[in-house]
Amino acid sequence: MVNKVSEQKDWRYAFFLGCVIPNRYPMIERSIRDVFEELGAELLDMPGASCCPAPGVFRGFHIPTWFVIAARNIAIAEDLGVSLITGCNGCYGTLRDAWWDLEHNSEEKKHVNKLLAKVGKKYTGNFEPKHVMQALYLDMGKEYVRGFIKHKFKDLKVAVHYGCHIVKPSDKRPWDGEYENPTFLDEIVELTGATSIDYKEKFMCCGAGGAVRTAVKEVAADFTREKLVNMREAGADIIINCCPFCHLQLDLGQVEVNNFYKDIIGEPFHIPVIYITQLLGVAMGMDPSRLGLVKNHNLKGVSPFIPIQPFLDIVKEQLI
Amino acid sequence: MTESEKKIKVTRKTRPKIGVYVCHCGINIAGVVDVYALKDYALTLPDVVLAREYKFMCSDNGQNLIKEDIEAGLINRVVVAACSPRMHEPTFRLVCKEAGLNQFLFEQANIREHATWVNMNDTEGAYQIAQDHIRMAVAKARTLLPLEVQKVSVEPSCLIIGGGIAGMNSAIDLAKEGYKVYLVERTPTIGGHMAQLDKTFPTMDCSACIITPRMVDVAREKNIELLTYSEVVDVAGYVGNFEVTIMKKPHYVDQEACTGCGACVEPCPVSVGNEFELGLAPRKAIYIPFPQAVPGEYTIDMESCIQCGICARPDVCEPDAIRYDDKPEYLKVKVGTIIIATGWDPYDPTPLKQYGYGRYPNVITAFQMERLLSSYGPVLGKPVRPSDLKAPHSIAFLQCVGSRYFREGGNKYCSRVCCMYATKQARQYKEKHPESEVYIFYIDIRAFGRGYEEFYESASENYGINYIRGRIGEVWEDKDHNIVIRAEDTLIQTPIELTVDLFILSIGLEAVADADKISSLLSVQRSEDGFFMEAHPKLRPVDTLTDGIFIAGVAQGPKDIPDTVAQAKGAASSAAALMAQGEVEIEPYYAVVLDHLCSGCRTCQSLCPFGAIDFDEFKKIAVVNSALCKGCGTCVSACPSGAMVQNHFTNIQLDSIINIAVKQPTVKNGQ
Repeated sequence: MVNKVSEQKDWRYAFFLGCVIPNRYPMIERSIRDVFEELGAELLDMPGASCCPAPGVFRGFHIPTWFVIAARNIAIAEDLGVSLITGCNGCYGTLRDAWWDLEHNSEEKKHVNKLLAKVGKKYTGNFEPKHVMQALYLDMGKEYVRGFIKHKFKDLKVAVHYGCHIVKPSDKRPWDGEYENPTFLDEIVELTGATSIDYKEKFMCCGAGGAVRTAVKEVAADFTREKLVNMREAGADIIINCCPFCHLQLDLGQVEVNNFYKDIIGEPFHIPVIYITQLLGVAMGMDPSRLGLVKNHNLKGVSPFIPIQPFLDIVKEQLI
Repeated sequence: MTESEKKIKVTRKTRPKIGVYVCHCGINIAGVVDVYALKDYALTLPDVVLAREYKFMCSDNGQNLIKEDIEAGLINRVVVAACSPRMHEPTFRLVCKEAGLNQFLFEQANIREHATWVNMNDTEGAYQIAQDHIRMAVAKARTLLPLEVQKVSVEPSCLIIGGGIAGMNSAIDLAKEGYKVYLVERTPTIGGHMAQLDKTFPTMDCSACIITPRMVDVAREKNIELLTYSEVVDVAGYVGNFEVTIMKKPHYVDQEACTGCGACVEPCPVSVGNEFELGLAPRKAIYIPFPQAVPGEYTIDMESCIQCGICARPDVCEPDAIRYDDKPEYLKVKVGTIIIATGWDPYDPTPLKQYGYGRYPNVITAFQMERLLSSYGPVLGKPVRPSDLKAPHSIAFLQCVGSRYFREGGNKYCSRVCCMYATKQARQYKEKHPESEVYIFYIDIRAFGRGYEEFYESASENYGINYIRGRIGEVWEDKDHNIVIRAEDTLIQTPIELTVDLFILSIGLEAVADADKISSLLSVQRSEDGFFMEAHPKLRPVDTLTDGIFIAGVAQGPKDIPDTVAQAKGAASSAAALMAQGEVEIEPYYAVVLDHLCSGCRTCQSLCPFGAIDFDEFKKIAVVNSALCKGCGTCVSACPSGAMVQNHFTNIQLDSIINIAVKQPTVKNGQ
């Protein structure tokens, strides 16, 4: 058994929220904060943090602007003397790529600092931006996290969805070049006793990325439909992910798929979509309603759009 | 006029008259730096009496410039500022020699690789570096002393490492020319990977029918000493005089007594995977790799053997050949030349998880398919898929698995044989099952050899094999263990999903896993791709940079059978050319002892890695055996009295270079 106190390191991170979490899924922020606190990690607020900026929208149009805004966000964390951490694959994609690219391009770095000087900021690149999964899996390690699991779920079949930016491009990511078949999210999920099921096209896009959701919702939903069909065929009880944008697409997208493709999907989909720290929180003994897993029936147009109740029903007996 | 007649006498006291020749190397040097300014710069250096520039110093005209200046008595030392000495030092040394000047009064300044190539976009920096190199070369040239080359005899025998098609061909050629050959093979049989193939493209000859007679030829050839189940463990000496230690691994079966009757196989209770069948069939702990193995005597695999004693029973082994207490034997041989023909290992596709190898039973490698197609393979040439042992109706090949792959876990190079072997296997399967559907997913088809394009054309035209241009993104197994392929047909720009019964990965060829061991044993270099490096990619494709050591076959890089055989014959020819001369010149870069300074402390003797230093008990001083000395310089730096001198790299020579480099450092932009 791991000794929690002696093993504990100085885990301090600047918590970068991004846009989707505060606007659409604030319970993801709640769950990250609660789980990290329980694990003995400190999350610092980032005063003045802006949009990451979004990889598709900003990088697609003007890379220097994208660099400067990203560097400014990273510089806020640097001022706090810690690595930035984000729960969003999109923010991770931008911040990690920008950090990596600037570390390999001293000209661009000089240029960025020239512009940042105008707002009294300085970017050094000394602290690598991290993802919540990176903190859990690489910094703390799964043996450490295992020590906090109070409830072991039996007979819970989980369809794990990674998303893209967390593993690609592989050379800029910390997963030892593993990008075709990563297992870190499955391993963390299985700490809770749940089974991560193998399903077809597991590493396929959720459908939302690359501004597809914004531009052509039907196409995005077509991707999502295919993923959902494959998950249902494999017998998934719930979907676990580590990206709020995938989360949105798999949650709200399910409603859209049920509308757009009701003629071809047969039964409508009702697979609860849960963020990894929400699942960990429940397994660590936290109150599901505090983690945002219980929703007031009167609330309309508010996430989660697919009821989480089936999940709570499956694990209820194991929580008592 | 003979050489001796026009020898120019140069001694320590002769005043140096240095000629500096700056080469344009086309635009390689002249396109980056001002060669005329470099020439003028050289004239400002001490003892430089003339300087010239020329388009290609290595050309006949360029060489003649130097020759004429020497013969006219204008110069007695030569500096050429051009490419790497690796490239043309021998050329210019010969020029000096022909003109009557001692060839060691030549120095080359490498201003191409060291200056212009690496600083192509920084002409000013390149110019200054070129100046530095010329200045240092001139400084060394002033202190050069004439040296005499040594001649050593060449042993008329050759060690060939690897008994595949390459090693066998080299061995037969050399043996027929009358040289003694030691053919070392680490498995119990010769034949190599070619013996595992069913048919060969594009002629569709049966591979076994071609190679097995060749194997028998090797065994019969009286000049070849066949050392199977053996490994080279040590190589000492130098060109013409290598001393090789070979370990003969214990067979645990007396190879003289064994008649190869095979009566021991049936009763042996231990079954393990057969390496020859790539794990597709079992073998016993006592085995021969395949029925046509040469030699045909049995071997016990001691790692699997449980020493039950059944095979040793007199009613099982009548000749009483079993020896459980067999020990390795060490054999020392002296050879003049060595040929590396160590072949290749198949690429392991397990890390490419998207293709499901090792995860899904019906994903196999094309190498395994070769065994399935083979008439003497595990299914007697009637391929079945592993999950249900039924003949697959639809099969798909994926090309370039692990090849032309620029991410982690793969090789960047093209393996050169996969397009053709996949086409061949596809045709073979179609011949057996005309109703089947066969797909080949490719990036582009490389059909470069003689008859290959026609072979490929006929495969799609006459056999109806579907070639689909596009890589496969990932595969998935359905509940019947069929493989569902996700790909894009890039010619019609459409994503496709295809379900096949058997999915075959056309894996590439890799350098053998222990290539680094061989490389350090023989002091031969390897290229970035892991294969052994030839001395020159165009002009010396079978030589290595270590004199007397040659390479043949896939050990040097992926190639098909005709190319392998051609190179093997080339290596044999080069080795023979060296041995036919009977003696070889070796560079006089050995250390010499200054008798009057040596105090006889024997420090050098204990440090010499080559055992080249003896001790003269009468004079009480160290003596260097110049034939064994490799010129590493260890003794020179260790000698407390400064009594050791390294020819051509004396302290005076090295100091003069360092002094001139440090005293006039290049200063660029204050950095």
